Amino acid sequence: MTWDKANESLIEIKDLSRIYTMGEVKVKALDNVTFDIKRGEFAAIMGKSGSGKSTLLHQLGLLDMPTSGEIIFNGNNILGLSESEKARFRLLKFGYVFQEYALLPELTALENVYLPAMALGRKKEEYLKAGTEVLGQVGLGTRLHHRPREMSGGEQQRVAIARALINKPDILFADEPTANLDSISSKQIIELFQKLNKETGLTILMVTHEPDDMKYVSTVVWLRDGELAERGK
Amino acid sequence: MFNNIKLSLFLASRSMIKGNKSTLLLIIFIMSLIFVNLVFIGSIFLGVTEATNKQVINSLYSNVVIEPKEDEKYISDVYSLEQKIKGVPGVVGISSQYVTGATLSHKDKHGTWTVRAVNPDDEMKVTTNHNYLIAGNYLSKLDENEILLGKEIAGGYGGDLEYSSLGVKVGDSIDVLFDNGVKKSYRVKGIFDANFIQTNTMAYISQKEMESVIGLEDKASQILVKTRDNGNEDWYIKQLLEMGIKEKIKPWTVYAGMVKNITNSFDMIAMMISAIGLFVAVITIFIIVYTSTISKRRQIGILRAVGIEESVIIQSYIFQAMFIVISGIFIGLIIIFFAIKPWFIEHPLKFPIGLASLLILPEKVSINAISLIIAALAAGFIPSWLAVRKTIIDAMWGE
Ligand SMILES: Nc1ncnc2c1ncn2[C@@H]1O[C@H](COP(=O)(O)OP(=O)(O)OP(=O)(O)O)[C@@H](O)[C@H]1O
Ligand SMILES: [Mg+2]
Repeated sequence: MTWDKANESLIEIKDLSRIYTMGEVKVKALDNVTFDIKRGEFAAIMGKSGSGKSTLLHQLGLLDMPTSGEIIFNGNNILGLSESEKARFRLLKFGYVFQEYALLPELTALENVYLPAMALGRKKEEYLKAGTEVLGQVGLGTRLHHRPREMSGGEQQRVAIARALINKPDILFADEPTANLDSISSKQIIELFQKLNKETGLTILMVTHEPDDMKYVSTVVWLRDGELAERGK
Repeated sequence: MFNNIKLSLFLASRSMIKGNKSTLLLIIFIMSLIFVNLVFIGSIFLGVTEATNKQVINSLYSNVVIEPKEDEKYISDVYSLEQKIKGVPGVVGISSQYVTGATLSHKDKHGTWTVRAVNPDDEMKVTTNHNYLIAGNYLSKLDENEILLGKEIAGGYGGDLEYSSLGVKVGDSIDVLFDNGVKKSYRVKGIFDANFIQTNTMAYISQKEMESVIGLEDKASQILVKTRDNGNEDWYIKQLLEMGIKEKIKPWTVYAGMVKNITNSFDMIAMMISAIGLFVAVITIFIIVYTSTISKRRQIGILRAVGIEESVIIQSYIFQAMFIVISGIFIGLIIIFFAIKPWFIEHPLKFPIGLASLLILPEKVSINAISLIIAALAAGFIPSWLAVRKTIIDAMWGE
């Protein structure tokens, strides 16, 4: 059973293309990409700047609509969902961490974190408890009531990770989460990802261009000019 | 659904609490001014209309007026007619009177005015002019050579038509040339100021005196009928008709044509000013919400990326707009009821038609409040709806 699960595809990507049209010019940001992500994997997407890494992550995370292709999540084609179904899907199944910390400045760390749980309709004591827990998990148990501007970049990024975790997602998408951080904070974040992946079996798909990150991940998806160049370390 | 509302309220309240408070207060203040303006304009016009109506009733025509039949100069058999009128329940006063034009002169000054000849005891039950004497005394039933003048005829009391006044005081003697050619001298017994230009340009003598001038008896040019309540004239007229009265019976409103014109113009002006006020409110809120959605474009993108529904985001902006408007209305109500209304009761506005204060009708206030809220709803919805039309990618990373 455990073995089965580990080899089961969480996401299958089939012939995925995303073409941006700007007037006459067409940019093939993704060109017939096919691969899959296994449940429990910690995968990195790597490639040169402009190779389509962010674009790929946006398609998989249902933040954008591919031009063609399929995204099968747990056996279901999720591209056919309506906008509000997609929103619900993101809330329930996905967690996001972006390069910029992407927190709401008016909310405290705890409020930023529990917002997605609140949106799910969970009870107040439940989301307060869950929020406090995940903030503890990312090492910010003492910063619950601080606002984003009272925290360092690394701390803000960890708040964003806690927010991504609160609804216990199936997969965490991270787009260069350490690009704005110094090496110490970057290391903390990557090690946190590794710990989450190992201890909770969370599937993580992370865009990075930091070769050092390779040693933490279980697999790498290489992109070149929007095409899949290689799969594996 | 309920959860979405909770979430919207949470986002809206955080956004306002942590946002720029002085801007928020300023906007709320603007809304309260717009609301006060809406209510004020309507109320002042209503107040003027109401004051005019009251004047027409209290000092000129009472509630119902009975006039001679077609082609007849006078009503006949006044006494028996009065008995019939008394039979209608709710009639509280009847004053039959002669009305004639006359030229009044004193020294080298003269002018033509309306003279009403009344039985003072009856007239006092029907109009209130006896309460507004500014010099001398009211008429009594048996007065023969005494005349009561409106202040515009007498002059010297700061009237609006002072240039044509006679310039007489109580005790002075004036000559009166009646329509029928009879000329007589009268002593000015009293001068009144009913605060109403139409009344203040009339003179009163006793009914008995008039009958000797025109040599008639038991006749009248008109009979004023005062009823217990205002506004039910049609019902009383029906009752009077059922009594078999053949004379013309009219409600006071037919004599208030001037008032009707004023009222219609006021309604028009009030509507225009209200529309402008609402438009300003819509624009203000639209700009506030629009700039907010622009400056928070990325945050809106983040919320949507995380999976917060678009309707929650739109609602959160609508709630903010609602909060602004409802606070504005609330403050506006305080301003209206604790400052403006008391002030105008203390300092009524003076018009040729009399003193007018504000007439604040709860139903009008509610309509103003509701229209402002609806305006805010639209003004909050449109920009936030436009904001969530953008793609998430554009919202988060676009220019
Ligand atoms: N909204 C857009 N409109 C038009 N072209 C776009 C848009 N977004 C991305 N592109 C183009 O698509 C290609 C892939 O962009 P993408 O952002 O996915 O690259 P990336 O691999 O994430 O690069 P980086 O490492 O610099 O973040 C690029 O050529 C880019 O210019
Ligand atoms: Mg990128």
